[in-house]
Formats: sequence, C-alpha cells, structure tokens
Amino acid sequence: MPHSYEEEEENFLRSEKSSKVFRRLVGEILSHRRDSGVLITAVIITAIAGTLYPLALGFAINGVINKNFTDLFIYSAAFLGFYIIQFFSNRIRTVSSTGVAQKTIKELRDRAFTSIQKVPVSFFGKVKTGYLISRITNDAETLSEFLTFQIPQVISGISTVIVSISIMFYLDFTLTLYALIVIPLLSGFTLSIQNKVRRNYLGTRRTIAAITGNLAENISGIRAIKSFNVEERMAMNFDKLNSDNFAANLKAARLSSFYGSIIRVIEATGIAIVLLAGAQQLFANAISIGILVTFVIYVQEFFDPVTQLSQLYNSYQSSMVGVTRIYGIIDSPSEESISRGSIKIEKFNESIRFENVSFSYGKTMALKNISIQINKGEKIGIVGHTGAGKTTFSNLLLKFFSPSSGRIYVDGKDLTDIETESYRKLIAPVLQEPFMFRGTILDNIRTFSPEASDEFIIGKAKEFGLYPLFENLESGLESEIGEMGRNLSEGQRQAISLLRAFIRNPEILIMDEPTSQIDPYSEKLIISSLGAFLKDKTLILITHRFSLISLVDRAVSFEEGQKVEEGSFSDLLKSNGVFRKMYNIQHNTDT
Amino acid sequence: MNFTINMSKRIKNIIAVLYPLYFGSRYLKGKRWILYSVICISIITAGTRLLIPVLIGDAVSSVQSLNFKRLEYFAILILFISAISGFFQFFVNYGSQYISQLYAYGMRNNIFEHLMKKKFLFFENQTSGDLLSRSTMDVEGTRVFIMNATNQLLPTLFMILFSLIFLFILDPLYALIFLVTVPVLILIGVTFQRKQRVHWRRIRSYYGNMNEELQENIVGNRVVRGFSIEGEETTKFNSTTKSYFDEYMIVARIRGFHNNLMPLTISIAATAILLYGGYVSIINASQVGNLVAAVNIFSIMTFPISSLGRLIVFSENARASIQRINMVLSDEMQEDIQSTRRSKHSGDLLINNISFTRGKRQIFSGVNLRISQGEIVGITGKTASGKSAFVNLLPRFYEPDTGSILIGGRDVSSIPLSELRRTIALVPQEITLLSGTILENITLSDTSLSLEAVVKAARIAVIDKFIESLPDKYDTRVGERGITLSGGQRQRVAIARAIVSEPKILILDDATSSVDPETELEILKRIRKELSGTTVLIVTHRKSAIKFADRILRIQNGSVEDIFDLEEDLKGIVDGANLYRGGDENATQL
Ligand SMILES: Nc1ncnc2c1ncn2[C@@H]1O[C@H](COP(=O)(O)OP(=O)(O)OP(=O)(O)O)[C@@H](O)[C@H]1O
Ligand SMILES: Nc1ncnc2c1ncn2[C@@H]1O[C@H](COP(=O)(O)OP(=O)(O)OP(=O)(O)O)[C@@H](O)[C@H]1O
Ligand SMILES: [Mg+2]
Ligand SMILES: [Mg+2]
Repeated sequence: MPHSYEEEEENFLRSEKSSKVFRRLVGEILSHRRDSGVLITAVIITAIAGTLYPLALGFAINGVINKNFTDLFIYSAAFLGFYIIQFFSNRIRTVSSTGVAQKTIKELRDRAFTSIQKVPVSFFGKVKTGYLISRITNDAETLSEFLTFQIPQVISGISTVIVSISIMFYLDFTLTLYALIVIPLLSGFTLSIQNKVRRNYLGTRRTIAAITGNLAENISGIRAIKSFNVEERMAMNFDKLNSDNFAANLKAARLSSFYGSIIRVIEATGIAIVLLAGAQQLFANAISIGILVTFVIYVQEFFDPVTQLSQLYNSYQSSMVGVTRIYGIIDSPSEESISRGSIKIEKFNESIRFENVSFSYGKTMALKNISIQINKGEKIGIVGHTGAGKTTFSNLLLKFFSPSSGRIYVDGKDLTDIETESYRKLIAPVLQEPFMFRGTILDNIRTFSPEASDEFIIGKAKEFGLYPLFENLESGLESEIGEMGRNLSEGQRQAISLLRAFIRNPEILIMDEPTSQIDPYSEKLIISSLGAFLKDKTLILITHRFSLISLVDRAVSFEEGQKVEEGSFSDLLKSNGVFRKMYNIQHNTDT
Repeated sequence: MNFTINMSKRIKNIIAVLYPLYFGSRYLKGKRWILYSVICISIITAGTRLLIPVLIGDAVSSVQSLNFKRLEYFAILILFISAISGFFQFFVNYGSQYISQLYAYGMRNNIFEHLMKKKFLFFENQTSGDLLSRSTMDVEGTRVFIMNATNQLLPTLFMILFSLIFLFILDPLYALIFLVTVPVLILIGVTFQRKQRVHWRRIRSYYGNMNEELQENIVGNRVVRGFSIEGEETTKFNSTTKSYFDEYMIVARIRGFHNNLMPLTISIAATAILLYGGYVSIINASQVGNLVAAVNIFSIMTFPISSLGRLIVFSENARASIQRINMVLSDEMQEDIQSTRRSKHSGDLLINNISFTRGKRQIFSGVNLRISQGEIVGITGKTASGKSAFVNLLPRFYEPDTGSILIGGRDVSSIPLSELRRTIALVPQEITLLSGTILENITLSDTSLSLEAVVKAARIAVIDKFIESLPDKYDTRVGERGITLSGGQRQRVAIARAIVSEPKILILDDATSSVDPETELEILKRIRKELSGTTVLIVTHRKSAIKFADRILRIQNGSVEDIFDLEEDLKGIVDGANLYRGGDENATQL
C-alpha cells in the first residue's frame, strides 16, 4: 500500500525533533539583527526593572520600620521609577516582538509560496490543496502567539530568574538555597511529561489539517455534492473529523491544565518554605523583615515565568509542529534541483525531437517508445482515443514532467539540460482545462501579458474572431468572471484561454483540445484568422475536431500510449487506422 | 448631559468586549451549565489567589511580633489555600478549553451544514479560499477569545473586585486610591479597543485573500508554469502578506502604548499606597503587615491587568471574525435539502413559459416545451447561448424568474430537492470528482450500491475496460479533482456516477467533449439500450451526437426551438457540417 503524502509527513513529524526545528527558526529570527537586537535589549531591560522593584519595596518597608522618611520617599520613588522604565521598554518590546514575529511569519509564507512555484508538477498530484493552504496559513499563524508573546516571555523569564537569584544570593545565601529547593521538583515534573505533551500537539495539528483538507475539498466539490443531494452524508463525514479534533484538543488540554495546577502548588510550597526558614533566620537575627518580604516577593516573581511555562510549553510544541510543516514545503526539492537545467535558449531554431520517449505517472506506462520530430514552422496534429496519452505528450513538451526513459531534444540540446523558464518563454499552451483567475476578462489576459493595453487586447479578440463570444456580457471584456471563471460559459472560458496564448505571440503553440466546447460557427471564425497568425510558428494541436485538422501539415495518431500512425491528412484517410475511423464517425460516411 | 451619553456609550463598549463570549454561548447547546460553573469556579480561584498575599501579610506581621506558632499556622494555611486554588484552577483551565473547543466543534459543524444548504447562486459570489478561511481561522479567532475570556478575562475582573474588597478591609483609603484608577483603566481600554477595530477587520480579510490567492495558484499551477508567470504570482502574494504584516504592525504600535499604560496606572496607585501607608505607619508606629499585603495585592494585579490589553486584542479579532462567520450563517440563499423521501418521479417534462435572467442579462423569455418520457433530445446552440443555463433549471440549481417546470405533472418547486435530484442526474461541463477511489466517486449518490450496479454503470459509460486495466481496479485513487485521470476518463467516470442510481432524466451537458467521437457514440448507444425509458438531454456541438438524438432543440436568442431539417438548420452550428474536406486538398477525392 503506497503511503499518501500526509501519512509520510506524519511519520516524518513524529521522528523530527522539535529542538532541531527550533534552532533553525531561532537562526532565522536572529538574522533580523536589528529587530531581534532591539527586542532582546527591551526584554532584558524590562526584566531587570521588573526584578529590581521588589528590592525598592523591601528597602521602603525597612524605611518604614526604621521610621526613616527619607528612605521611604527615595525607595518609593525608585519603586515607581522602575515601573516607568518598564513602561517604555515594554512599549518597545511590544512593537519589536510583533515585528519579529510577523516578519518571520511573512517570510515563511513567502518562501513557502516561492517553493510551491518551483516544485515539480507531480507534487500537486500527491498533496491536497487544502493541506497546502492549511500549512501556509493556519500553521504559520501558530507562530504568531508563540513569537509575539511566549518568546519574549521566555527571555524575560530567564533574565528575571537570573537577576532575582543573584539578588537573593546577595541578600542571603542560605535563605536562597531554601527558596530553590523546589526547582528540582519542578524540572523533574516538567521533563517527565514532555513527550506526552508533544504527542498531544501532533494530534491536534493533524486533526485540524484533516478538517481543513476536508472543507477545502467539499467547498470546491459543492456542485457535485448538491447535485447528488448527499449534503447530509458529507456533513456526517465532516462531523467525524471535527469530533476527532475536539477529542484531540481536550486530551491536550487535560494535560496542560493538570500541569498548570501542579505548578501552582509547587509555588506555594516554595513560599511556605521561605517563610518558615526566613522566620528562623529572623529569630537568629540574620536578616531583617524587609529582606524577608523581598524574598517572598522574589519567590513569587520567580514563579511567574515558571507558571507561564505551562502555557509556553503548549505554545512551543504546537508551533514547532506547525513550523515543521511549513519547512516541509520550503524544503521540497524544486524542479530545477532535480533536472538541473542550465542552458538558456533564446530562440527556437530547428526542431523538437522525441527519441524513444517513454513515460509513466506511476505503475502503468502512459507513453511508450515515442519517436517523433517536429521541425520549426511545422504544424502537427495529434489525434487518438480518450486516454491514449495525448495530454501526457503535451505535458512532456511543456516540461511539466520529464521522460522516464528516452530523450527529448530541442535544437539538438537535451531538454533536461535546458533552463525551464527560458524554454517556456518560447511556448504558449492552451491547456485541456482552461483555468481562470478571479477578476475581469481583461485581467485574465493581462496577468499573462502585463504590457498589453486594453485596446490591444480588444483588437486581438476581434482579430481572432473571439470578440463576438463576449458581446452579450453586461460589461464585455470588463466583466467580472468569478472564481475559476464560473460566471462564464465553458466555451467563453476556452476562448479566453485561446486569446491568452495568442496574445503571447509565441514561437511554439501547444493546444490541447482548444475548441472542444466552442460552437463550430465561432470555431470557423477562429480558424480562418489563424492561418496568417500561425505562419512561421510551430503548432502542436491535440484535437478530436476534424475541422481543426485543416490547420495542420501532418497528423499523428496515438493508441494506448503508442504512436500508431503518422502522415498527411490524405495519407491517413487512405490507410485504415484510427484516424480514418474517427473521421468517418464524425461525418457519418459509414457507420 | 453629553457626558452621561458618552459614559453610557463607553460602558456599552466595555460590555461589548464580552460579546464574542455571548455569541459563543449560544452554540453550546445544553452544555451552557459548564460555562456557568467555570465562571463560578473562576470566582473562587480569583478569591483564593488574592487570599495568599493577605496571608503573607499576616505571616509577616506575626514574624514582626515574634510569634512563631502563628507563622507556622499561616505557612500551612498558604500551602493549603494554594492547593485548593490549584485544584480549582485545573477546572478553570480545563473548563475553558472544553467550552471553547465545544464552541469550535459546534460552530464548524454549523458552518458546514449551512454551507451545504446554500444555493448554487451563493457560491458564485464567494471564493472557496475565503470560505475556507471563514470556517477555519475565523472560528479559531473566536475560540481563542472564548477560552481566554473564561480563564483570564473573567477571573481578572473578579480579581479586581476582590482586590477592592480586600483593600477595603485592610484600609478604606487603600480601596479609594484603587477605585480612582478604575475609570482611567476603562478609558484606556476603550480607546485601545476603538483604535484597533478597523485594523482587525482588514487583517481578517487579508487573511482571506491569502487563502484565495493560494488556492488559485495551486489549482492553476499548470497555467502559471506554462506561461512562466511564477514571478508575477509571487509578487502578488508577497504584496498581500505585506499588507497583512503592515496592519499587524499598526495594531502593535497601538497596543504598545495603550496596553502598557494600564500597569503603569496601577503602579502609580501602588506607589501612592506605599507612601501613604508608610507615612501613616511611621507616624502611628503600627504594623507593616497591612501595607505589605496591599502592595503585594497590587503587584499580583499588574500581570493580569496588562494581559487585559491582550484580551481586548483577542476580543476585537473575534468580533471581526464573527462578522465574517455570520455571513455564512445567515439564512439567505438557503435551500431545503432535508427529506427522507427518496422516491423518483416520471421523466415527463413540461416547461411553461419560463424566463430567466443572469445578473442583468435576460437569457430566456417565454420558453414553452414538452419532452416525453424516454425521448433522447439533442440540444445545441452557439457558445454562451444559454444551453447550460437551460439544463441547470431542471434540477433547480437555479430558479426561473417566471413560469414553471413540471416533471411527471408536478411542479418542480413543490418536489423536495432530495427527490428531484434523484430523479434528474446532470453531468456538468465542468466535472468535479472528489479525491478518493473510483468506486467512492461512482457511488457518491448512494454508498449502498452493489458492485454489479457500479460495474454496469461503468460499462455504459465505456470506462469499464480502462478501470479493469488498472492495478487497483475500482479501488484506484483518482487524486484531487480526479487529477490522475485523463480529461475523457474523468468525464466518463462522471457519467457512470450519474447513471448508477438510474435517474429518470439524464442530462449530459457537453459531458463528452473530451471523449473522442467513436467512444462518445458508443456511450450514447449503450445509454439508449440499457437505460430505455430514461429521458436523455444531450447538450453538444457534435454532429455525430446530434444525429443520434430522436429530436433536436436549438437555443438561440433566448428561445428554444425544434429543428427539423438538420443539414439546413444546423449549418455552422454543429461540428462537421461544413468542413468535409479537412485541410488537405487531396481529401476531395474521397
Ligand atoms: N497525473 C496522472 N497520474 C497518473 N496517471 C495519469 C495522470 N495523468 C494521466 N494519467 C493516465 O495516463 C494515461 C494517458 O492520459 P492522457 O491525459 O495523456 O490522455 P489523453 O489522450 O489526453 O486523453 P483525453 O482525450 O481523455 O484527454 C491515462 O490512462 C491516464 O489515466
Ligand atoms: N453565474 C453567472 N452569472 C452571470 N452570468 C452568467 C453566469 N453563468 C453564465 N452566465 C452567462 O450566461 C450566458 C449563458 O451561459 P451558458 O453557460 O448557459 O452558455 P452555454 O450555452 O452553455 O455555452 P457553452 O456552449 O459555452 O457551454 C453566458 O453569456 C454567460 O456568460
Ligand atoms: Mg487529454
Ligand atoms: Mg454550457
């Protein structure tokens, strides 16, 4: 049983150490030198000011006991002063921590997006759209809480702990030792549940990703679901994933709440110990009451970050799982790293040659031993039954996939050695399934040819006989077409997809069933305008429509992944093959 | 006068911070008592937490009076109270998680059910990326607030209340000083809340945009690659993440000032108490225990009070989210999908004077038509003439503006959708297969179908041989949207999916456009043979398919009419009528 991408990732996540990911993340955060420098400074100042105010308080109380007004005023002022310092440093800390967090998140998202532009096309056959989206949006978001609130908390916690312990040692050595008795207890307890916490968080992230995946699929498949009236069943399936997530979250919550409560009891134990031990010291006249008060506050202060640990720990684990997932995308091997093409080509000069090319998507062969030569300026038609491998052939031509065996040469150079971008610049494809972006029709063309003006596009639409197809729209080519172009008819979508390619004015035009949904009358207009346009261009045309065959010099028939016929229109009609059979059916000359 | 209005408005705003909690509580369905108990317990924990500084103060006093027994007693009491507080804290933490997760669970199901009930029209103006973000991140946004409101916000508010009481017991003047800070805190909170509101709305909608752009880029990856526009796409996405970032920074700057002003206010009050209390006890030579306790109460308060600002942030985020969620939860554009009745109606079709507009465009007006059961009808017409619009009216994917459609003599608007959509199966132009196996896709309408029925449907759709040739046969996974199948294979699986439950009316909306004519004809022949009695509507441009039909309709200029003279009337409308020669001069010889 082959593992799905999600299962593979799950295994990977289980084995991946949080600490490794965390180190990588920290490295990236620190690369924003200025921001992280400011943040750390602000946090440390805050923490130090925060740890010094109990000292001021203690001295002020001593002043009260010693009936010393000056001491009371001075230390009260210092007490307030530390808070004012905190106000300013905290302000900086708030802004810089958000800066660091959001910058890191933005970068992760941008890098993941860039990486998605570079992964081989086959990647999208394995990973669900919803999962990818969930990673780049939801999972990145888990970092927000962690980096904005928790990380500064840790830094400040660490500095608080260091400063308060130093002061405590300075004030009274023995009492400090008493105060620290609870530390081993605390760390032992934290370590003992670490693995469990992590496992719980893996569970919550996995179940939420499953929810997102299911939602994404159901929303995009809503039309099928509604037409078969299976809404309720889908809701039941969703409920199952949803309850899994609920259960996983509660499991994680139980442990973290338990942790929080235990910490609180440990804290109280610490205070009680200090009080009792402090009283002994006091009777022995080793310390003053002021110092005892200070000590009690320090123990509380010291426990504040520690109590936060329970929250921090949850946030840490959950965001590390999230980040690991994004790194998974960022680290996906890119197409270039696989094919390593480096030769740039500027122009198509001679020919494209397939030499014994075979290809398989997985187990079964989709193309077998194809050899074919397409010279510059030639127009080739490709016909064949459904599933014969026509689209696969164009996928190889477009370098969406690379041959499993055999080679493709472009101007004598192996296609895998050619830089993909420079090669694709020569080509414009019309894919079997037109894809539309949101926006207007003009937007959909301009995305692909940014320099084209509105007039130019409209002119071209008229020139290719496509304009009449949009005439009945409310705002013509300015009409909003909705997601995936849903507010258009299928034929109109194909027309846009054609116009897109024509306006690119490519050297090589690859069209896969470009007019399958366009009525023959409109098609005829298109065909008649293409003659001049195609002059000097190389055309590879996949079609079932024999009207389009008038455009080609030579036709090739595919059958179950193999090339079975090749020749001119009349040659093929004379031979008794697939080509002739299809022709006859469409023209009812014999059935 | 003005002042009172202002004040009452402010108070309303303050209460509005809690609105998401109220909103959430409506989705707890019978579990609301948990919410109330968590709130009650949080009152107890808030009280016990504050008791500790009071006890510490007492302990210090007993040290001062050299009473060791009393000190011991207080130390044990502190431990004991902490244990109780820890015990209750567990329920507060877990309870708030429970409540918030229960909300998220209920809300997600609720959103899902609403989405399923929405009409087709609803989805035309929405994008799946945005809907996705509404049902995930926006739910999460409210959930986070609900959780923090129950385990932090409410306890903090109670703590403030208790502090006041304790301070009052310690010294009424302490309480008075504290009381002065409350309006200041409220003012800061409200300003803070108001200033960031618009930014949170923007943040949430940029987040939706991010989802949309990702979705488009991923689904359209072949176009993006084929035209090498990866660079432009990346620039677009980066600018969305940039806007998102910028808004966050604005909020951070607002937060940096207002949020930190709150603990500063508290500390000014603490200093005042320190000075006043210190002064008084020097003069009176009284014990410092009370003073220590009071200042301690303040220092315990600073952290929760500074976290109040954070809770206001969460609340604003949640309110922006609720607005977006409500769009999905509104009852507009819903259709009634529920019904247990699953009987089928006859395949007689009568169309009475229907008109239909799309946006502002009239697509049909006054169309009348009768199609009797068992007829095979070809429908043709130019691109964008309204063929799909016409067939989509029959299963009520859209509704005509006027006129009626009758199936088996009954008006479709009076037939429950569950029956109607069992009676009519439509294979659309744009196929959506679900990820899963071929079998799961074919049995979408009814999982209890037997394998024989599935195989039979596959045979009629001429996809059986192909499926048998696959290593995993019917259990082959087809990938998302059926990505691992060829165009024609996907269409044929969709045809099998439509005919497997034996509908009375089968509509093929150009559903064989990617299938070669030979296979197409074979499918049509098998449909005629095996599904006799089924009314079949075939939308097509192909002459071979048109010729196969018993009757031909042409859609033109908003009307639907019968065609009798094929060659003459269909000139230029169906494929093959004009170009007998192909492109090759020599072909004339044939
Ligand atoms: N991404 C993929 N993963 C696995 N198998 C695939 C994938 N794409 C296509 N195939 C298989 O490869 C074979 C050839 O498919 P191809 O899309 O090239 O056919 P086609 O000739 O274009 O057919 P059609 O006319 O129906 O579009 C088919 O059997 C198909 O199931
Ligand atoms: N959701 C929509 N909102 C507004 N207008 C729409 C919407 N869907 C389709 N239209 C418009 O309605 C008209 C009829 O569209 P329809 O899809 O019915 O055409 P068709 O005859 O099926 O064309 P084709 O042969 O290309 O499939 C077109 O002009 C189209 O732009
Ligand atoms: Mg194909
Ligand atoms: Mg249509």
